[in-house]
Amino acid sequence: MKTPYLPKWADRMIAGVPALLVLLAVMLPSPKPANAIPAFARKYGLPCSACHITWPELTNFGQVFRDNGYQLMNERDSPITRDASYFPASIRITPQWHRESANNQTIDVTPGTTEDGERKGTVTQAGFDLSGMDMWFAGTLFNNISFSVLPSSDSTATFHFENAYVRFDNIRGSRWFNLKVGKYELDLPVSEKREWTLSGNGGFYYIYHFIPANDTNIFGGIGDNQTGVELTGHSANSYTRYAISAVSSLDGGVNLAYGCTAVNTNCSTPAGRTLDYYGHFEQAFNIGNGNLGYMKVGAYGYYGFAPTYWQTTGGTTQLYGLGNKPFYRAGAEWLWYTTHWNLKGVYLHGWDSLCLANVTACNLGHVIPDTTGFQSTSWNGGFLEAEYVISPQWVLLGRYELIRMAQQGVVGAPGSLSNLDAYTFASRWNPFMFSRAGLAIQAEWSYIRSTDITNQGGAFGSTCFNPAAPCHIGSNSLFLATDFAF
Amino acid sequence: MTMSKNVKHGLMLCALGLSLAIPGIAVAQDTGAHAAGLTGRAEAGKLDYRRWCVGCHGEEGNGEGNNAQWIDPKPRDFTTALFRWRSTPTGSLPTDQDLYDTITRGVVDTFMPSWRPLTPQERVDLVAYIKTFSTKWQTQKPGTPIAIPPEPPTTIESVLRGRETFDKLQCWKCHGPEGRGDGPSAVTLTDDKGLPIRPYNFHDGTRFRCGETNQDLYKIFMTGLDGTPMPSFVDNLKPEEAWDLVHFLRTLQPHVKSQSRDLWLEYVKTHKDIKPIGADSAGQ
Amino acid sequence: MRIKFGLALVTLILAGSAMLVTGARPAGSGTITGKATFTGTPPKMRPIDMSKEPYCQKLHNPPIKTQDVEAGPGDTLKDVVVYISAGDEGAATPSTPVRFDQKGCEYLPHVLTMEANQPLQIYTDDPVAHNIHPMPKLNEEWNKSQPPGAPPIDVKWDKAEFIPVKCNIHPWMHGYFVVLKTSHYGVTGDDGTYAIKNVPAGKYTLTAWQEHMGTLTQQVTVSGGEAKADFQFHALPY
Repeated sequence: MKTPYLPKWADRMIAGVPALLVLLAVMLPSPKPANAIPAFARKYGLPCSACHITWPELTNFGQVFRDNGYQLMNERDSPITRDASYFPASIRITPQWHRESANNQTIDVTPGTTEDGERKGTVTQAGFDLSGMDMWFAGTLFNNISFSVLPSSDSTATFHFENAYVRFDNIRGSRWFNLKVGKYELDLPVSEKREWTLSGNGGFYYIYHFIPANDTNIFGGIGDNQTGVELTGHSANSYTRYAISAVSSLDGGVNLAYGCTAVNTNCSTPAGRTLDYYGHFEQAFNIGNGNLGYMKVGAYGYYGFAPTYWQTTGGTTQLYGLGNKPFYRAGAEWLWYTTHWNLKGVYLHGWDSLCLANVTACNLGHVIPDTTGFQSTSWNGGFLEAEYVISPQWVLLGRYELIRMAQQGVVGAPGSLSNLDAYTFASRWNPFMFSRAGLAIQAEWSYIRSTDITNQGGAFGSTCFNPAAPCHIGSNSLFLATDFAF
Repeated sequence: MTMSKNVKHGLMLCALGLSLAIPGIAVAQDTGAHAAGLTGRAEAGKLDYRRWCVGCHGEEGNGEGNNAQWIDPKPRDFTTALFRWRSTPTGSLPTDQDLYDTITRGVVDTFMPSWRPLTPQERVDLVAYIKTFSTKWQTQKPGTPIAIPPEPPTTIESVLRGRETFDKLQCWKCHGPEGRGDGPSAVTLTDDKGLPIRPYNFHDGTRFRCGETNQDLYKIFMTGLDGTPMPSFVDNLKPEEAWDLVHFLRTLQPHVKSQSRDLWLEYVKTHKDIKPIGADSAGQ
Repeated sequence: MRIKFGLALVTLILAGSAMLVTGARPAGSGTITGKATFTGTPPKMRPIDMSKEPYCQKLHNPPIKTQDVEAGPGDTLKDVVVYISAGDEGAATPSTPVRFDQKGCEYLPHVLTMEANQPLQIYTDDPVAHNIHPMPKLNEEWNKSQPPGAPPIDVKWDKAEFIPVKCNIHPWMHGYFVVLKTSHYGVTGDDGTYAIKNVPAGKYTLTAWQEHMGTLTQQVTVSGGEAKADFQFHALPY
């Protein structure tokens, strides 16, 4: 059989994709935790594909199940309807192989010494790896009282609680009133915890975490789980949904201290005792009775506060935050779900007030700071994602995300400082689909390009070589994994 | 340039992967489906069936999905084309709308969820697809839905007449004198597959498996539940008598708010010597 | 000579028509008879406990026994259906109805034979409620109630099939509607014998069906007079 000519690199790439079917791979050190729960499948006898486009991403049926408080509302939701040996627990982990490469990095001319100076270079690393592990316990405590506890570890088995909450469902028999108390993911336009891309480089949504260069707002982004209360409601088929949250300005941290973020590496910075507010509303409608699927539009907004200086004792020991200044993140969404195609677009506008954008200018206690040369910072960003559902067991994805600074925190800084573009392509294949456990074979490739440094996790962390002028870091990642959950 | 060995092996593995995803097996042609003002096609329903239904109802639609052995009651076997919840007389096929309604409503107190979150088109496509599991749909037409006359007002006289009917027709033999599903014949009931089945417990129940309105209740005993011990009483009841029976049956449901029950409780306060149900039965 | 021949011819014609008029069997039509027996040990038939229906319990003292295998003296079998399963031409569907009774919480007869599309009338003679629940695979399954005093149910079966029928209210009530294509069939009586009359001459396949022990088949040739076909089933105690 005559085949068209293929250059060697394409040959290897093509071979690489199906070869992963038998390849055991390992995952990045800073994994994106994600939620899919075979315990639900075991409880109700449904295959994973009933609730998930590809687990963990939800179908509308799965969204209704979740909105009902993990209940099917068929009088078999209470734990008493199950044999006592049923336990609502699942684990998930992703052994993987990955390769990370970033250019324009600063490296020593002679390894081992700075005597010979530094130069620009590309840093590449590759190998087998593990992701963190999720242990998820979720379900109902009683009829219309649901819960979730998710101890999650990084790849070194250091645990934290990703979520832990109780939810009072269908208060007074109405699906428009559900109250959640604890730590949870905000009702984001597209859930990041239930996205299925996994790599540290391209597996998450940058707009949900972005903080521009020089900005020291210790808020980690709306993609971080928060602690507080949430009131939600939905229509019978979840085509109309709303959520209102009031959370402590802790970025989901515990012990009344800020959670660790890329900026707040202290991890025990006391908070300013304020509350942040989040709201989200979305409306879906069938296109042509559903033969062209359904579309969703929505809007969301997060209005928060962060301290700019602290009450201390002994001069340096921080007691609690003061000088709380506001910031917000707001935007809109547009989604279109059909049998084979899913399109998602989310827009975000971010704004950090002057003092948060430049904490050094305001950290002067009651003294009015000199803010010459500084200003508030704002940016616009968004992503467009297309998924092609070949079958309930095989999905392909392509995503483009961008962030463009509208105003830099430092007057006169280059306008493109911190801009970023991200491209992610992925394929996820489930060899079997049933109701006891799940396994997915995944291949993911991403490329991120950022101007100078951004305060993100993942592939970044090094300074761009020659920081005097904005320079672009390009980071690409190839990720091959076996992602499984029981 | 010939295909490199890597690519060849890769493609073989891909084919293996694809072949592991076995599609459903239908035996009959697509006769289409019409419900909710839409037309459904089996080809479109096939992928939806694989996503949502195959785990319980099985690739061959025979109710033997890999979960079926752990589920009670068992999933419906579409190959027999025998359906319980119909608007058509006993012994006839349901209408497409009947099947669509069952999918939409789900079946309470079973593992069949409400599939309302699916779009109407997806649901009507599924109706078209499940019909391809039996050739009966090609050789027979669905029955004509029974006529349900408008419900007359609920009065205590209607309730008392319905109570007489419940006694005379001996519904209590299976459903029990208080409708608790504990009649003398209840424990020996089996469905068509020979598996034990209990009669409806009015006392504990809120909804019925096929709905929750008085019209739904009327349909149950006027069409019978094919495939179960519940027969059709359409030859034994005039429509007015059937409505009287509906009004009485509501008095057996303490968890459902109804005018019938309110009237009955009022009546019982002033009539302490009501003859118990089943007292007059021959030989009791 | 001619007159003798003519007379003979007339006599022959007259005799022939006389035979037709008197309805005497035309040459080449016979009867198939035989007996159904068994070897081995059949399962024990157990007395039926009708205490759930006191009215019926009172009627049967001692209680009647289950009827899966109705064995008689000399190891004979009752209610075996013997019918022509091949070689038979189709006949017009009879319009006389066959009757099935529910009496004393028993089906009478236990096995009822009929032809496809022949009217069937189901009666209840009991002051207790019954439901009639036939469970065919080829014909349409239905389930109807017959409360005390209900009129008979009129039905037809359009496909040949052995249809089990039961009452859900009284779980011991089991019977069969045997719907056949052929009009040549018989059912063995108490003495295990059957007779199929008015069978045109020819070669046929004869099948005997017993509800518990299955079917036996043999070839039979009918050429006027009586053709004998006995069936010996092999019984197992389970």
